[in-house]
Amino acid sequence: MSLAQRVLLTWIFTLIFLIMLVLRLDEKIHWNWFLIFLPVWAFDTILLLMLVVKMAGRCKPGYDPRNGAQNMKKRVWYLVAMSLKLAFCLTLCAKLEYFSDLWVSFVCIPLWALLIGAMVDLGYSVFSFRRD
Amino acid sequence: MLFSLRELVQWLGFATFELFLHLGAFLVFSVLVALRADMLTPGISWWLVFVPLFAADGLSTYFTAIVSIRLYQEGEKRLSVLRLLWVLTVLSLKLVCEVLLCQKLAEQEQARDLWYGLIVSPLFILLQLLMIRACRVN
Repeated sequence: MSLAQRVLLTWIFTLIFLIMLVLRLDEKIHWNWFLIFLPVWAFDTILLLMLVVKMAGRCKPGYDPRNGAQNMKKRVWYLVAMSLKLAFCLTLCAKLEYFSDLWVSFVCIPLWALLIGAMVDLGYSVFSFRRD
Repeated sequence: MLFSLRELVQWLGFATFELFLHLGAFLVFSVLVALRADMLTPGISWWLVFVPLFAADGLSTYFTAIVSIRLYQEGEKRLSVLRLLWVLTVLSLKLVCEVLLCQKLAEQEQARDLWYGLIVSPLFILLQLLMIRACRVN
């Protein structure tokens, strides 16, 4: 997929999610929070499928294993990041819909783990580039 | 995942360091939101909770100003002006959204007319701008 196609995919799902979120917050609609997050679930499913297909590509005959370990590490990190994002969205929806007594700190644990991981990943890019 | 870091930098128009800065600010902000929402720190106001985001916007503006001045001195006048305009547009839209949200949360009763559609409207504008920029970068 070209950059414009990937951006379009992200853009459509973000736009639909924002519209649904605003309508729910302004109490124009009273849908279940899990339904409001439907664009997020759909987008995550597409991303997970793309990731799994790429990882399964390693099993093909004739696969060039050069730089394979590095790529595999990266994809495992992406898989973990996706799981953390899904865990955060699921616990957030559960809190908003069913468990209003649930602590926000508890809901935010996957988000914090994801952000710390992303910062380490990004920080490695920033500071290793500067060392070069 | 869907985008490489290089593509993100090209698309968003921010340096990697700025992305790192905004990510860090969001992490601190989310911790403060959780503390405020769970009433572990009842004395803390919503304006104080939003300080990391405001600080990141300020630092990002400062960083962009320095980069633009350096680019201008090196003769890249068009690039420096374009970069400065783009980053300032994005940051001001983000800032407007943050200020409106903070006002809504801080003054629940007085800000009843401030509906969420209005608060998120800068983000809708930003989304359109990002789509146009993606077509240009592509």
